[in-house]
Amino acid sequence: MNAMNAGKTSAAVPGRLRTVLQNRALQMLVIVILVWIVAGLSSRGFASFGHLRYLLELAAVIGLVAAGQTLVVIAGGIDLSVGAIVTVSAISLPLLSGAGDATGLVGLLATLAVATAIGLVNGVGVSALRVHPMIMTLAMATFLQGALILVAGGTAVSAHNPVVEWLGSGRLGGIPAGILLWLVVSGATLALLHATPLGARIFALGANPLATLLSGVSVPGTTMLIYAVSGFTAGLAGIVVLGMNGQGYVGIGDPYLLASIAAVVLGGTSVLGGRGSYAGTIPGAILLVTVTALITVVNASPGWRNILFGGLILGLLLLSGRERARR
Amino acid sequence: MTAAEPLPRGVPPLYGPVQARRNRGLYGLYAVVLAFLVIDAVLFPGLLSRDGFARLTQNWFPLALAGMAQALVMLAGGISLSLGAMVSLGAVIAAVTMSGPAGVGGGLALVLAAGLAIGAATGLIVVRLRLPAIVVTLAASFLIGGTALLILPRPGGAIPDGFSDLLAGDQPIAFGILVVIVGLWKLYLATPLGLSLYAAGENPVAAHNAGIAVDRVRIAAYALSGLLSTAAGLFVAAQTGSGDPVIGDSFTLNSIAAAVLGGVGFLGGSGTMRGALAGSLLLSLMINVMFFLGLPPVAQYVAQGLIIIAAVALPQLRIRGRRS
Repeated sequence: MNAMNAGKTSAAVPGRLRTVLQNRALQMLVIVILVWIVAGLSSRGFASFGHLRYLLELAAVIGLVAAGQTLVVIAGGIDLSVGAIVTVSAISLPLLSGAGDATGLVGLLATLAVATAIGLVNGVGVSALRVHPMIMTLAMATFLQGALILVAGGTAVSAHNPVVEWLGSGRLGGIPAGILLWLVVSGATLALLHATPLGARIFALGANPLATLLSGVSVPGTTMLIYAVSGFTAGLAGIVVLGMNGQGYVGIGDPYLLASIAAVVLGGTSVLGGRGSYAGTIPGAILLVTVTALITVVNASPGWRNILFGGLILGLLLLSGRERARR
Repeated sequence: MTAAEPLPRGVPPLYGPVQARRNRGLYGLYAVVLAFLVIDAVLFPGLLSRDGFARLTQNWFPLALAGMAQALVMLAGGISLSLGAMVSLGAVIAAVTMSGPAGVGGGLALVLAAGLAIGAATGLIVVRLRLPAIVVTLAASFLIGGTALLILPRPGGAIPDGFSDLLAGDQPIAFGILVVIVGLWKLYLATPLGLSLYAAGENPVAAHNAGIAVDRVRIAAYALSGLLSTAAGLFVAAQTGSGDPVIGDSFTLNSIAAAVLGGVGFLGGSGTMRGALAGSLLLSLMINVMFFLGLPPVAQYVAQGLIIIAAVALPQLRIRGRRS
């Protein structure tokens, strides 16, 4: 992708500017802003502060799920159980917050522990049992889907948990708590990926697992950690979704699986691993939510909505997602 | 790849040993399938009658086709997340066209042509543009599922009763069709395209250097996979008597599960169609048995998840145990 663009622009644009122009995160950000401007000009209510803030709130949930997904994908795996983990978290929080838990923190921490543990089991399956990530996380999602209905029944559960309610609808200086949480997680994810030895190991693992192993990195340890983080962020997202919706039900997390993968791919992270950044995933998540909102605005039927959404992912892929290497 | 020349003297025959090697990992699966068949027959003695056998194979048939479709793509080194949407599309086209002026024959042709064309288009995008299969088919699942919703926004349409009774009546015709399809698959494997499938999936670069048109082989695999998927949809529509634009959704994961249970690998070129068929039979038997045991329908998900992990992890652990 980069080489292709370089061929076109190298004559006219000086080197540093070219590097900036080729930054995928920046490209995505520009696309998002352009879409917002065009949509704002053509639809009156779209560009209002309240609506944009609402879009960001929706994007925050996808962004949280996609944070863990980005790490997993960069490390050369994929997590197909994030949707199920979002559901688990949204349903088990009401079950785990007892009457004696006035602040709601105990229930919150217990839920996050459950979500992280599920992710850890994924990691153990992938690294210790050597099950392919797609199979492991798919089987986990299937398992959780059944277990959830067995445990929680088919009915919706609602929570009376102050922390969760604040995360879903609270504000701090006019900014919704969900967005604040996303900012914090984004900062942590970016720092982890680009400023810590662990981040370097994650990139290395995705680029060449064997070389990483031979360099003395604990591949099983790193793998388990990454999947545990993915479970954790999916759990966080589930809590925010619960707070926004007021109640949790089986299937509440389903849309977030494909959305998280789409956000990661739109953000320029290679599904083959080893390349990418969460910096691209952030505008990717915002773009997904924006386009979904636009499709709702033009009042398309569900069929057209799906076609537009699929066409968008495919179109953006064709423009820039081409993989250089053949496996 | 010219016509079959007789092997020169002294070259050991390849076919037998290759088949034996491919069977090696499957004996465990065959044993489990057999055990489930016995359990099923004990719980439901009617299974052994012609009517019971027809029902059993009819429940298995769509998943068998879907499992084969997924295995084909996986053998070619890809994966299809749009398979469920293709099943829905097949069901919807059948339900809309068959009771109309096109008739049963026209509807059948349309369903199969749509599967072949969309499968080929998906393969073209994945193979020629070098895009990752998982993301392309993910996007395609929205495009195809959306098209199904446009054709038939809510469950409806109709399959002529005669055709429904023929496919899903009390005669085991579905099983006969499956036998024919497996026979056609064996024939396909003997054509240049089929022969090259394993090579192109296992090591595309080496296959290319050996003179195989790798791209064409892989696109053909996607096209055939599309054909099988919409055919599965057609059968589901015949079973229920009408079309439903989201009826195929569960087939995506179940087809992957069937292929994986059957030992088909994610990296291409490893696994067999008979494995995928056995895997799909196991899943369908499992659902049957759990139903007769009075377990809630969702318990099958729990069992399915555990079985898939066990099926993949146990051979891995055994290999490692042997090494150390």
